[in-house]
Amino acid sequence: MGELKALREAVIKGDIAAAAAETKSALDGGQKPQQILNDGLISAMDEVGERFAKGLIFVPQMLRSAKTMKECVDLLQPYFKEGDVTSKGTVLIGTVKGDLHDIGKNLVSMMLEGAGFKIVDLGVDVSPETFVQKTREVKPDIVGMSALLSTTMPSMPKTIEALQDAGLRDAIKIIIGGAPVTERYAVEIRADAYASDAGSAVTKAKELIGIS
Amino acid sequence: MNPKDTPTFQPRLKVLSREQALAIHQTSLRILEKIGFKMEHPGALTMLADAGCSVSDGDWVKMPPKLVEDALSSAPKRIDLHDQRGNLTMPLADGNYFYGTGSDTTFTVDLETGERRRTRLQDTANFARLVDGLENMSFAMSMSNPEDAPVDDIYIYAFAELIKNTNKPVVFIADSGRDIAKIYQIACAVAGGESNFQKKPFILNYSEAISPLRFPQNVMERLIFCAEKKIPVCFPSGSNAGGGAPVTLAGAMALGIAENLVGLAIHQMAGKGSPFLFGPNVSVLDMRHTIVSYGAPEWSLTQAALADMRDELYGLPVWAFAGASDSKVMDAQAGAESMFSIITAMLSRCNLIHDGGYLEYGNTSSLEMVTMNNELVAMSRSFVQGITIDEANLAFDAIERVAKEPGALFLMDDHTFEHFMQAQFLPQLLDRSRYDAWQEAGAMDMYRRCNAETKRVLAEHQVEPKPDSVLEEIDRILHGR
Repeated sequence: MGELKALREAVIKGDIAAAAAETKSALDGGQKPQQILNDGLISAMDEVGERFAKGLIFVPQMLRSAKTMKECVDLLQPYFKEGDVTSKGTVLIGTVKGDLHDIGKNLVSMMLEGAGFKIVDLGVDVSPETFVQKTREVKPDIVGMSALLSTTMPSMPKTIEALQDAGLRDAIKIIIGGAPVTERYAVEIRADAYASDAGSAVTKAKELIGIS
Repeated sequence: MNPKDTPTFQPRLKVLSREQALAIHQTSLRILEKIGFKMEHPGALTMLADAGCSVSDGDWVKMPPKLVEDALSSAPKRIDLHDQRGNLTMPLADGNYFYGTGSDTTFTVDLETGERRRTRLQDTANFARLVDGLENMSFAMSMSNPEDAPVDDIYIYAFAELIKNTNKPVVFIADSGRDIAKIYQIACAVAGGESNFQKKPFILNYSEAISPLRFPQNVMERLIFCAEKKIPVCFPSGSNAGGGAPVTLAGAMALGIAENLVGLAIHQMAGKGSPFLFGPNVSVLDMRHTIVSYGAPEWSLTQAALADMRDELYGLPVWAFAGASDSKVMDAQAGAESMFSIITAMLSRCNLIHDGGYLEYGNTSSLEMVTMNNELVAMSRSFVQGITIDEANLAFDAIERVAKEPGALFLMDDHTFEHFMQAQFLPQLLDRSRYDAWQEAGAMDMYRRCNAETKRVLAEHQVEPKPDSVLEEIDRILHGR
């Protein structure tokens, strides 16, 4: 684990070139990819998350660290064997039908990815039918829905209903967010969680699948 | 020596040189010509192609600078916004500035309980009535995304509520070509017919593209509708620095202006000479909390820069914001941020200034904030009007009288009696009372004084009601009968 210190530091600093070099040298040195992932990359991102929560760093720094981690994970990918657990879980995410805004949703995706989740991003204006179809295909642990407008918010309960009708609701956790969304609304429409920003989306996602 | 009357210099803020303004403008043109934009409205796409734009990948458009120049030369340099009785109350031109409220907030601070709760139609009514009763609030917006209105018709209901509760001009939101047509029907009913309305428009539509460079179908439907019906419109994309736009203010402005110029070009093709209020909203995305800030000094700076670009290049009246805050309650932060944007918007002579009364980065509205802003606008105006230099104001004779006569006081002199109301800002809510009197009156802070004043205005101010025939027509339009 000692050798991974430089890798962790590079991820925390967001130095992509240095982190990639450290990843390669750890692989060359015979370290297991799983160990590089857990003790190097994910552990670094946990530290980044803590620093952010304390107000020591800002969002662009955190996103740069997430990007650095992603580059390193790509380097590890060929070394993983089938059956290796390489992510904390899969999140299917999209902006709901009628809504074309994606900045918030993209931010949440980046943060979840940085925290070790696998993301399947459906984009914007995603219909309930598409959510259902993709849930069937991808079998995610969590489905995330975003809306910026109060006028498009009703697409959220419609999507939940469609997932229910398709018999998929019990196999997934649903998390929602966006400017007009509230905790109360999440309860009303029977989502499993509400997150007020990208940082808390990560915390809530971890809680939903029982890791924290 | 007899001092000659001298024109009064009125303090004014300038933040860009002509060279800087040109550099931003040229970058905007380059964005449109070299990068292009996504136009999702088929009609607008055809208009652009016919006018000489290149179209690729179905809806990706590149626009030559010539189209921008044509649009800038055909758009009117002055927009006359009237009140609902046909009086010209908001001539948007030159150095005129007008303050008002903002649009869709999800929450409001309850006037009675002080709690933050979801907004309702009654809130739209209260904000409109408050604006109607406050001297320095010139126009009303919904201030609410009412949870008790049917969601498909939410903007029609909000508009009807505004019309019933104020006679001042109204800035409104719509979703698409469908609801804006109904809103327009209501406006024509108030004016007594379409031709009356078009002679003296009293509404202005707020529509926005999505930064970066995306123009959705429903947004363009509204813009084209307004162009055809001569409804004044603004088209601020949210090119907020670090969010929809680059983190640097120059780049965010160049992008936002480029998006505005696309809107203007299509608008002028659809209705040559129709009124278009210029300007993007360029605030910042907060780098810690990822909210779009309503208290950021950067937004005040970019709109002052936009006013300079108006003066140097465009000549079109500009859209702006002021009197808002990121604070969750009406506290010292809210007062500081509100005043910062109010005075700088006035000093840079922004023309139509909205969003007054927002808390929590535009998520919550506050009646008390609007009441406070009414006073802050008066305070700012007393500063921006400058110092009048003429014989009466130099007061040589008064000085002579008081100096020479034993026991004389300026306070007792006729000159004071005749001039004090013009010479001084006389606050009503900003407290200058002596300590004991303040304590006896309940030791109220600014928030509580604004709360009491708001309740007084809402209880006492009578909005001149619309004729029954108009109210019936509104009901008919609302319920589709």
